[in-house]
Amino acid sequence: MAAILWCVLVLKEQFFLYKVEDLSVFLFDKLFIAECLKTPGGFLGLAGSFLTQFLHLPWLGALLWVLLLLIAYQLTIRVFNLPENRRPLALIPVALLIIGNMSLGYGVFLMRSQDHFFAPVLGYLISLIPLSAAGRMKALWSKILFLAVWTTAGFALFGTFAFTGAIVCGCATLVNSGLPRRERITVPVSALILSLLVPLVIYSAYTSYKLTDSWIMGLPSISSDSWTHAMRAPFQLSLLCQILLALGTGLKSSGQDDSTKSIITRSLTYIAAIAMVWGFWYRDCNFHTELEMSYAVDRYDWNHVIKTYQKAVDSHKKADEKAFESRSRKIESARSNDEIDEIVERYSSRFFEPTRSMILYRDLALLKTNRALKEAFTMKDGSRMQNSRTQIPMAWQSGKQLYFQYGLVNMCYRWCLEDVIEHNWSFSTLRYMTMHSVIMQEPDLAEKYISKLEKTIFYRKWARSQRTLKSDRDAMAAAAPYKSVLPYMCFENRMSNDMIKTEAYLINHFMEEEPELATPEYDRAALLIAMRIQDINRFWERLRYYINSNHVRELPRSVQEAMILYSSLRKTQLDYPLDEQVRRGYDSFNQYVSSHSIRSMKEASYPFCQRFGKTFYYYYYFMRDLNTY
Amino acid sequence: MKHCITIVAALTLLVSCTGIPQTTVQTDKVPSVFPDYTNVVIPSNIAPLNFRIEEEGKKYVTVITGGADKAVIGGQKVEIPPRKWRKIKQHGLIGIQVFVMDDDSRWHSYRPFSMSVSEDEIDPYISYRVIPVAVESYQNLSIRQRNLTNFREKVIFANTMVQTNADGACINCHSYRDYSTDNMLFHVRQYKGGTVMVLDGKLHKVNMKTDHTLSAGVYPSWHPTHDYIALSNNRTHQSVHSASHDKLEVLDDISDLILYDIKNNTVSVIENDSSELENYPNWSADGRKLYYVSYRYDGNYGDKRKNEMFLSREDFHFNLYSKPFDPDTKTWGPTKLEFDAAARDSSITWPRVSPDGRWLLACISTHGVFPLDQIVSDYIMFDLENGSYRYPDELNSPFAESFHSWSSNGRWVMFSTRREDGVHTRLYFSHMDENGRFSKPFALPQRDPDFNREFLYAFNIPEFMKEPVHITPRQFASFISGTDATPAKYETKKGE
Repeated sequence: MAAILWCVLVLKEQFFLYKVEDLSVFLFDKLFIAECLKTPGGFLGLAGSFLTQFLHLPWLGALLWVLLLLIAYQLTIRVFNLPENRRPLALIPVALLIIGNMSLGYGVFLMRSQDHFFAPVLGYLISLIPLSAAGRMKALWSKILFLAVWTTAGFALFGTFAFTGAIVCGCATLVNSGLPRRERITVPVSALILSLLVPLVIYSAYTSYKLTDSWIMGLPSISSDSWTHAMRAPFQLSLLCQILLALGTGLKSSGQDDSTKSIITRSLTYIAAIAMVWGFWYRDCNFHTELEMSYAVDRYDWNHVIKTYQKAVDSHKKADEKAFESRSRKIESARSNDEIDEIVERYSSRFFEPTRSMILYRDLALLKTNRALKEAFTMKDGSRMQNSRTQIPMAWQSGKQLYFQYGLVNMCYRWCLEDVIEHNWSFSTLRYMTMHSVIMQEPDLAEKYISKLEKTIFYRKWARSQRTLKSDRDAMAAAAPYKSVLPYMCFENRMSNDMIKTEAYLINHFMEEEPELATPEYDRAALLIAMRIQDINRFWERLRYYINSNHVRELPRSVQEAMILYSSLRKTQLDYPLDEQVRRGYDSFNQYVSSHSIRSMKEASYPFCQRFGKTFYYYYYFMRDLNTY
Repeated sequence: MKHCITIVAALTLLVSCTGIPQTTVQTDKVPSVFPDYTNVVIPSNIAPLNFRIEEEGKKYVTVITGGADKAVIGGQKVEIPPRKWRKIKQHGLIGIQVFVMDDDSRWHSYRPFSMSVSEDEIDPYISYRVIPVAVESYQNLSIRQRNLTNFREKVIFANTMVQTNADGACINCHSYRDYSTDNMLFHVRQYKGGTVMVLDGKLHKVNMKTDHTLSAGVYPSWHPTHDYIALSNNRTHQSVHSASHDKLEVLDDISDLILYDIKNNTVSVIENDSSELENYPNWSADGRKLYYVSYRYDGNYGDKRKNEMFLSREDFHFNLYSKPFDPDTKTWGPTKLEFDAAARDSSITWPRVSPDGRWLLACISTHGVFPLDQIVSDYIMFDLENGSYRYPDELNSPFAESFHSWSSNGRWVMFSTRREDGVHTRLYFSHMDENGRFSKPFALPQRDPDFNREFLYAFNIPEFMKEPVHITPRQFASFISGTDATPAKYETKKGE
């Protein structure tokens, strides 16, 4: 089972694992370690962060995690002395630990704790220690002394897991009929009192948290209030399982039981655990596509970005067809327009639709490879909201990457700073802050971040490569990614604030700025955005700039389609010699429109897309009121 | 010159000592060290000035001498044992010679440098806010106090002790009455907000926002003789530079000045001209005059005001004004223009008068009200005795200089500067002689000399203190969490 889990993680979740690592940090650095230890549970956090960095190689990180889960399973059996017929019970807390991580989805962008992937399983293992350690002690006083030391030192090192351990130990003692009555009462009461009192006493030594948060220190934390309880619940339940198992140690075991009933019960427990994991495992195509595209953007592998997008679109073609057929059948049997509307609405989520992050990543990649005006409007578009408990602003998710790549490097830096405060340091922010300082030629500042990344295992080499660029403008301008970012930095400085709306800010930037020395790259991006926002005046204006700076001989098909459409809408004469195919395509579109009655755009979207999905006309009429975030 | 001869002579005597290279190649340059502690003037009660040698080499030896006392320290990081440091600095002049072994195993001896120990002591404590360099978020702020005679740093209060995920609490503008911590204040914004005041050792929380004033109090200045605090009221906004080495621009679209009467818990208006952006009040040493800065803005008052202000930010030239005050009758005299910065295409901010009342040190920049985020921000110093002023180049750097504080004896200035990397504000000190000349600034000493480079937070609002804050962070936290702010009463309207 562990091997299957590892395979699934490596094959299906590698980009999620990479993102977890990318948003975490571990530095072999005195200040970093000291900062971590300033909070109860800091040592656990350090250990968790240390292991998280190995997710950089997903196979290795996944292996470590699976091994720890395996150890948790085995130790649960051993520490609670579970007989053969109750062993499947040990799978339940392990399943909960898996669910805790794999149900996170978009929550990964809001995590404050850099250790959240490994710390819960480490904490789970740690909370098993007191029971096994106290079991070896004979004298009551030694057990009490141990618990006192454990809860005090353990709270500092492992946070609340120290208390769980003490309570588990107390519960097991309470139900252990082989122990004297005095001990059965004293140990659990001591464990409970210590767990309640130690945080109150020790609080004066800390300034990093609220007193009322004492009993959740060491548990993963997230910057969304509405998500906090749901995110922590699986981990807390896994600890509750320990308490229940400890109380269960007092139940008499029927020993080896091979009866059919027992086999069925065990099998059902296994199946339930697996089903639970399967049920809560976050599986969302858009999310996973975004993660893979983000991974490729970080490596400036633009073809990979485009292919990933196309792969996601292609993988849904059959499902879309089926959904359309099914919907058509339902519509045929519908009795009223309201019913049709309701069917269309109900089915809308069954059709594939990309998120804005996917579109922005894709457009960026198309621009970087100079294919945008040719291909952007031949690809599926949309604005599906995230399948998420709360909508994560693009600024948190992809803002740094998009701003940097579009030359808005100060805005990228700003979001790195905000990210650090809201969600802690990460390899990602350190990298983007380095790149910001390198491209701005601020060598002292760059050195600060480079020296931090030098203290990592997987970014050391990259950091050293940046040192040579930080004060050598020519070398920087010739190196990736700077070479492809500098052409976008041709605008004048101005004051701005994105109000946490990345796409809107990018649109405003490219539509409002008219650099005197605009580069061909800048004008291509501006024209693309003018077409995206379907602003006819802006389109003609930006088209003129584009033609001038790009010395275009033949305009891309989508641009010609926009020209013929806009001329027709404005009833103006078009001087440009359009491609004959474009003219025919436009006529065919008009004929189709006039020969088909359109009840609602939403309903007509799919059949139109099948026929005209690769034209600008389709984009213009059907891709309206797109949501952004 | 005399100092140099003494140092060379002392070091020559030491050459024969064990551990110090015997045969060396002379290098006619002072070694590069970080922080730059070469030839600085330091107070006699300061912690060891540990530094890193920034020269390439295989091995390092540093000889630190003061009179007959010496310390020989190996390694690129020179961490001076505190006991030896105390003995060495007793002699008034510290000589430092650095030896570096090159790849061919030859020792190079660099030109010695010195540290002059001033007889003027520095206040033993300082406090500052440790803040992530940020734009809008403020999840992790703390006000800390540092013992300057050693490396001990403690948190006075951290916002993490009260805020929740959903309800953030910004803390800012800590300030002390006459360098004493029995009377101090800082503001808590938003969650559990209010001005937290310690008055004669007792905690209070006040809401200085009234129906007649713009906001709660912001930048404070305690009256030197009476129970008053002058504060600004500000409505502050931030915006990001899209393509500039300056990252951020901060401005107030409205700001006024108020006077808080501690005894009566009342707020009265000092200045609230709607066309004037009054800011940064600071009392003269005798408390009979209030200095402040202001800029006249006649622009739009609607929704577009803020955006228009950002667009025309480069025209914002704040001048220095003063206003006479009679503390006994609590009456104000007419406003006087003290320095017309606008006429010099400049903007003056953060005026702070020395405790003896003779000097006024302020920030000067090309425009705007928030020097922290302006690379071009420097200092300007006024001699209030004769009205002259000068730009103290001894203090200024190519990066932003911002908030500054006078020591209680007026002989030391502590200031925040971004000179090290352009973004992270660090604290520097400088000695001022009786003529108002500053010595070369030196960085706040740290146990690990790499600290300033490694630390990813910034320091701001540095203030001197004669003693540590005695109230514990836990006491502050439980008070702030458990107490509602007492509303201040509005006393008078201007002109009434």
